[in-house]
Parts: sequence; structure tokens; C-alpha cells
Amino acid sequence: MGTVLIMANAHREIQELLADYAASLRDGSVPTFLKSLTKEEAKRIGESKDFWEATEIVRMMNSAGFGAKVVTPDVGLFISRVDAGIVSRMKKAQASTRDPSRSHVNLQ
Amino acid sequence: MDKRLRNALQQLTASDTESRRRAMEPFVRATFAMFIGHLHRYLGNEVECEDVLEDVYADIWENPDHLRNIEDDRQLLRTVYLYYMRKRLREVYRRLNRRSCLSQADMQNLMAPDLGLADLVSQEELKELLRTMLDKLKARERKAIELWMEGMSNRAIANQLETTVGAVKMLEFRTILKLREMLKEHCRESGGQA
Repeated sequence: MGTVLIMANAHREIQELLADYAASLRDGSVPTFLKSLTKEEAKRIGESKDFWEATEIVRMMNSAGFGAKVVTPDVGLFISRVDAGIVSRMKKAQASTRDPSRSHVNLQ
Repeated sequence: MDKRLRNALQQLTASDTESRRRAMEPFVRATFAMFIGHLHRYLGNEVECEDVLEDVYADIWENPDHLRNIEDDRQLLRTVYLYYMRKRLREVYRRLNRRSCLSQADMQNLMAPDLGLADLVSQEELKELLRTMLDKLKARERKAIELWMEGMSNRAIANQLETTVGAVKMLEFRTILKLREMLKEHCRESGGQA
């Protein structure tokens, strides 16, 4: 009986889970929160309507409080990263259109 | 909608890939702040936001069909979230889920949910809305949320409020649910528009 009680206390209650999720979202460490979940806690989250409703407000608070502070010092640099990604996809697409003729040559 | 953005959108939906590639620069410049601010709601991490957004832009370049006939910023954000961002957010967290006990469906709901009541509200509108709602709270509830939004830890908030960390977490939880009810009420009053 004592062991059961200790086990039950080892899992966070839904309000603690929400507070920890909110803090992890705010601090940019959601993966750590996800890894910290036990099976019991994950189940608790899945079954709690309150938790799901609260996450929307948490996102809202996070956005209002910290979303505007997200800055990228050099958008130009970011644009060149996007462009590099596009060029890479273009090359892949060209390579895949060449493939059939290559296999044709190989067959001969 | 900004004229620069409207022009970029027109070029972005051109049929040849090179024209679309050229249109990406003005498009990114016009939308970067809006998109990264929105992604931050779900990720909370600038580096992750940039990585996801990089793929989102490349996806848009590859298949811009969903962006035809966009009328305003809100419609643009909604379309980009539903057709491009969500897919990428799900990929990020599908990878993470390998080491998490959350079910795939719960993970998806947590990280790339359907659009909520206030998800398309701009940063400024959101701040205003939140300020209005916070004004309706009790002093202690309001203090806890404001301190949280200043970036304080729950322990630091507990010290300020002269209580325990557990009590702060419970206070935050109840207050957040209260705010959720206020948001629902606000949406009902304004005819579904947060």
C-alpha cells in the first residue's frame, strides 16, 4: 500500500505538467519536457481536457510575452539559406528526371 | 495587404521555377517576422523556428498553389500554417516522439494543433486582448501570470508571492483556465473573431 502511494506521488499532477510544459515552451526546451514524461503522465495529459484547453492560452502568453522578441540579426543570411535549400531541391529534381535515361544506358 | 507582399505573392505563383526562386527574396522579407513570430508560439526556440521556417519557404517555392487568391495577411498566415508549417512541425516532433511516452496523436495536438480561437490574431492584437483579460483577474492571479510572462521561474514567483512552488503551479493552472473561459466569452461576443 505504502509503495503504491509513493509511486502515485512520483508522477506530476496535471497542473504541474501544464506549468512545466509552459516553462519549457517559454524557455525553448520542449524536447526536455517531452523526454521527462512518464507513461502515467503522458496518459494523464491525453485524458485531460483542461490541459488541452490550457495549452492554447499558454501559447498565447508565450507569443504575447516573447514572440515579438524573436529576432534574426541578418534576414539576408536567412534568405541565402532558403535559396541554398531551393537550389538543392532543383538539383535533386533535375537528377531524378535524368535517372530514367541513365538506367536506359545501363541496360544497354 | 502590403503592396510589396502582394507583388511577391503574384510572382511566387508563377509557373516556372526560376521566377519563383527570384520571388522568394521579397516574399521572405515581407513575411519573415510574421511567420517566425507565429512559429514561436509552438516551438519557443529561435533556432528551431528558423530551421522549420527554412523548410517551409522551400516547400512554398516547390508547391505554391495554396497561395493563389490570398486576400489578406490573416488568410496568408492561416494558409501557410495549415498547408506548410503544420507538416514541418509534425515532422520535427515525430522525430522527438521516439523518446517520449506521449501518443502520436497527443504529440501532434501539442505541437501542431488545429488553429485555436486566438491563433491568427496579430502580436499587437494578442497583447491588447491579453491585457484586457488580465485586468479582469484577481490581483494575485494577475501577478502570477505577469511574473511568468516576464520570464521568472516558478520558484522566483513563489518567493514573490510568499508561497510554495506547488501552490504557484496550481494558481497558474487555475488562472490559465479562467483566461481560457474569458477568451471563449470574448470570441462569442465578437462573433467568432478573436
